Amino acid sequence: MERAGSIMGGRILSAIIPVGLGLLGAMLANFPVSFLGGLVPPPLLVLMPIYYWAIVRPDLMSPFWIFVLGVLQDLFSGGPPGVWAASFLATYALIDNQRDILAGLSGVSAIVGFAISALLACGSAYFIVAIYFWHLPPLAPVMAELAMTVFVYVFAVFLLGVIHHRFVGPLRSDF
Amino acid sequence: MANGGWRIARNRGGAQLPLALLFAFALALILIGKAQSNLFDRARADMTDMASPALNAVRAPLSGVNQWLSNVGHFFSVYDENIRLREEVARLRQWQNTAIVLDDRVKRYQLLLHAVPDPTLSSVMARVIGRASHPFLQTMILDAGTDQGVKPGQAVIDARGMIGRIYLVGRQTSWVILLTDLNSRIPVTLEPGNVQAIMAGDNTGAPTLGMLSQANRTLKAGMQVVSSGDGGLLPPGLAIGTVVSDNAGNFRVALLADSTSSEDVRIVDFGKKAEAPPGLSQKDLPAVAAGLPPAAPPPPMTERAPVPVTIPPGAAPLPPPKVDGKPAPVVAPATPPTPAPVPGQAPTDAAANAGTNE
Repeated sequence: MERAGSIMGGRILSAIIPVGLGLLGAMLANFPVSFLGGLVPPPLLVLMPIYYWAIVRPDLMSPFWIFVLGVLQDLFSGGPPGVWAASFLATYALIDNQRDILAGLSGVSAIVGFAISALLACGSAYFIVAIYFWHLPPLAPVMAELAMTVFVYVFAVFLLGVIHHRFVGPLRSDF
Repeated sequence: MANGGWRIARNRGGAQLPLALLFAFALALILIGKAQSNLFDRARADMTDMASPALNAVRAPLSGVNQWLSNVGHFFSVYDENIRLREEVARLRQWQNTAIVLDDRVKRYQLLLHAVPDPTLSSVMARVIGRASHPFLQTMILDAGTDQGVKPGQAVIDARGMIGRIYLVGRQTSWVILLTDLNSRIPVTLEPGNVQAIMAGDNTGAPTLGMLSQANRTLKAGMQVVSSGDGGLLPPGLAIGTVVSDNAGNFRVALLADSTSSEDVRIVDFGKKAEAPPGLSQKDLPAVAAGLPPAAPPPPMTERAPVPVTIPPGAAPLPPPKVDGKPAPVVAPATPPTPAPVPGQAPTDAAANAGTNE
């Protein structure tokens, strides 16, 4: 009985952690405090758990949760509603179609895979905003955000890996 | 780093359908947000109010770090900067004296002309407790809200010039849309020349100028940009920046205020209506004020009204005609007056012809 409760609690925890980390990333990245004097833009922290668990545990990072995280990113960032939600869903569509390839990448290739996904997310947001305002925003801030996101992912992926090993783990049916 | 160490969950059956539905829903959300731009505003204002204690707590140490980081580059140019600032201070002192004299003169002219007085501006001092610089949004958060009388649309200025305007107000906090933001559109006046324009932010450091009332060729780098007050949203005359020309030949505005370093700002309330001009009375007329006797009342109309006489340019002046024993009014010629000759400068054709005719 105790073991069953432990398993149930572990499942709930593993289900909460990916979305919880996405929520934490959205809040941290959009906390209105500049840590480096505004020299660099904040990275898209919310995209990292989305990318990671959309590959290794898509049952925990479903399109619904990606939509929710996108709406929260829109809400926290102060931008037009729906922009990041649509962009993250477009990125998820790419990940969903290329999951086998992306999951097989390692080392620098894995970073390149994330960079392509981040490029799709930032590019989608850029074009949606351009249509929304009917004016092409400057490209440099978007590219800076993309570069910052990929740079931070190099380190964040180790943390995500540790969290996945310790708390989330593979789907039980995959054993 | 590798993703391959973990087996992938495969139970994503039916994922495509909700993905398409959710994508359509996201697009609908964008359209709804376009139609109703304040869709998230209430939630954002409440969240900022809740986060304001945390923002205040981290503001002090972070502002010190940020200031130090932004000043690192200045260590290498202190000497040159010092010389430049000394020259600028000397030049600005001259301009300050000129401005004081001109301000005094303008006030006396306004008094003489019974001009409509400028509305009194009240303001609220606020502290910057947060900044956000995203690719599609540049904003700052102030620690003043509806409890302090802040309302959307009010101008935010610092000691150097205008920074932006309030667009979202909570109880204790408010969001500022910066002049550089994509959403910012401000009616401005360019001086000298009184050129009317719209200053639009594009998320770069220098906003663009558009919808000019006159041709682009009237613009010159160095013109001063102030708020025009059109539409009654902002007070007229707020200092904004200077016109500069970018590499592509387009005119932009170099802002006076630096939103990345501003700490304390003023929120200007322009809600008051302009005061009504004072009513005219007989004793306010300049002749009476100068101690002269009041003008005689006009004579009663007679059978024959005085006929205005037009003198063609260059013609010899006629003796004033008499109407009922009084001189008739004389209407000046339609041509502009000949400018006074400038020593050392050749007279213009018009002036030369006028001289020939005479």
